[in-house]
Amino acid sequence: MNIRLPTLVRTTTFKLALLHSILFTVFVLGLLIYLYASTVFYVRAEASDSLDAELTELSRAYSQGGLVRLNRSVRERQSVPGARRFRYLLQDAQGQKISGGLSELPDDIPLDGRQKYLFDIDYIGPDGEIVSRPAEGRAVVLPDGGIILVAYDVGEFQRIVPRITRVVWTAAPVGLLMSLIGGIVISRSAARRADTLAKTAEGVMAGDLSRRVPVIGSGDEFDRLGEQLNAMLGRIETLMESSRHVGDSIAHDLRSPLTRLRNRLETTLAEPISRELAEETLGQTLGEVDNVLATFNAILRLSRLEAGQGGRMSRTDISALAHQLAELFEPACEEAGLGFTANIGRGLFVIGEKDLIAQAVSNLLDNAVKYTPKGGKIHFKASRERDGKVALEVTDTGPGIPEQERERVVKRFVRLEASRSEPGSGLGLALVEAVGRVHNGQLQLEDGKTQDDTRGLRARLVLPKA
Amino acid sequence: MNILIIEDDEDMASFVSKVLTEAGHVVDRTHRGDMGLTLARAGDFDALVVDRMLPEKDGLTLVREYREGGGVSPALFLSALGDVDHRVEGLKAGGDDYLAKPFAPSELVARVEALGRRQVSEAPITALKAGELEMDLLSRKVTRNGKKIDLQPREFRLLEYLMRHAGQVVTRTMLLEKVWDYHFDPQTNVIDVHISRLRGKIDKDFDEALLHTVRGAGYRLQA
Repeated sequence: MNIRLPTLVRTTTFKLALLHSILFTVFVLGLLIYLYASTVFYVRAEASDSLDAELTELSRAYSQGGLVRLNRSVRERQSVPGARRFRYLLQDAQGQKISGGLSELPDDIPLDGRQKYLFDIDYIGPDGEIVSRPAEGRAVVLPDGGIILVAYDVGEFQRIVPRITRVVWTAAPVGLLMSLIGGIVISRSAARRADTLAKTAEGVMAGDLSRRVPVIGSGDEFDRLGEQLNAMLGRIETLMESSRHVGDSIAHDLRSPLTRLRNRLETTLAEPISRELAEETLGQTLGEVDNVLATFNAILRLSRLEAGQGGRMSRTDISALAHQLAELFEPACEEAGLGFTANIGRGLFVIGEKDLIAQAVSNLLDNAVKYTPKGGKIHFKASRERDGKVALEVTDTGPGIPEQERERVVKRFVRLEASRSEPGSGLGLALVEAVGRVHNGQLQLEDGKTQDDTRGLRARLVLPKA
Repeated sequence: MNILIIEDDEDMASFVSKVLTEAGHVVDRTHRGDMGLTLARAGDFDALVVDRMLPEKDGLTLVREYREGGGVSPALFLSALGDVDHRVEGLKAGGDDYLAKPFAPSELVARVEALGRRQVSEAPITALKAGELEMDLLSRKVTRNGKKIDLQPREFRLLEYLMRHAGQVVTRTMLLEKVWDYHFDPQTNVIDVHISRLRGKIDKDFDEALLHTVRGAGYRLQA
């Protein structure tokens, strides 16, 4: 839990947080600078336009009624309380002030009415002190030699500028600091959770396959990663268990035929070998070895399937496949004295491996042929389910599988008592189940309910639609 | 037939060689991939039996290079890897057949002999003949001794395959692969029943049987 800072600094989250805060600061600075520049520009333009308009109006007053009218106009404007930010100065040709709120003409002001001129205006403040504020002014020489000066108070705006600058310079480091702290906090918690993952992995590597990553339930990416890892660990655990189980099963299921084989050879060897005896013994031996090999092949195939090597999946025409399988099995059913009917829907497709599906369905048909007594019926059906899935279904009138045994029979090497005497490896349904699993489908076992006196079996391989 | 066996496992190599020799074939052996390629190019073999995992040059590369060099002898892969994927890889590399270990000797012999025959019958054929049986591949008509035999489409394909390999043993697995295009072991006697139906049509009304069961191996249509 105690994460030292250098470790923290090295974490991806911290680096990302740092990068983010730097980018954030740069962005905010840029935004402030833009704000500042556009404000300055706007206020300047505003002042300039206002001055222009004011001068134009006063000039019009002068041209309409000379100095007298202009004087009146200036006084009127001056008397509007507070609202206007203009100050005026009207003086005659002799340089004497006629009216206006300004006391004197600045010395070096250009008198063309165009160029701006910045100077300070004095106010009487609320406590009687004199306050100086910047103003922008323009002056025009009147035709009779008098001068009119209009000043626009830009003090408000001038004061904003340093304030903005100050805000920028204080906000930037504070923001940077805060986003850094935020980054550290975030990366600490991320690092802590990554640490839990690492600890779990360590535990698993040390051999404890039951270890799982704690999932908080926040649904964030760590939780999702944790869930995925847990699913993966679960899968690994199942695989390990199943391979252990396979080992036991192989030992169990191959040992007995091999022992039988050995005993037969040994007893045969002890007797004088006649031609008939040799033929008989060798014939039986060959048959047993073939069985062992078949079982072995089935185990291998099943193991590969369970290890998730499904082979190459492609769009497979289930209708065509079902027709072929029906045609393949129909004579065998007839030979065994069983009625065979098929009902195969059109246009059924799944994404899958043709040979695996064919093998699975033929295992189901094999079982039906093997376990259904003479005179029974087998119905083979391929159809689309209501939810769009494709179901391959084999129903027979055989003894069926009791409900409590159904989960067990799909395990490897599990054979029901009644079927022990029949040839078979006990891997058929396990293979069908595995084929269903690699296709994201499933094997369902139900009562056949075709006749009153027998349970019957309906085995359904349900595959997702293409 | 002249057969080259390229297999590094000593036991497997002598087993294969013994099985093929007993079936009446002449066999050459090597245990290295690169030497196998040299031999295959130098000699005129009727078939190559190639293990997939070999020292110096693996089986897939060997056959690919042999084909690129213009070699035409048919090749059969032997491999412990029996998945469909591996089979497809083998056929893509230029192999003609694929047999997964462990296998029955009769299966090996049947497959190798089927390969050797194929080479001869590369030209387009429109009619097949085996003993009294005649098959017209264009009009899809089959006669025995001039007497017309009606066959279902699948029975026709089954008989066609048997006639193309008349005189040779074909196994149940081969039939399932070549006639039905499935690559797995059928557990029950599905193929046997199809054969017996076909037999009912081609042999029933005649004294001499043409379609024989070879015990522990498969079937043979009399040439």
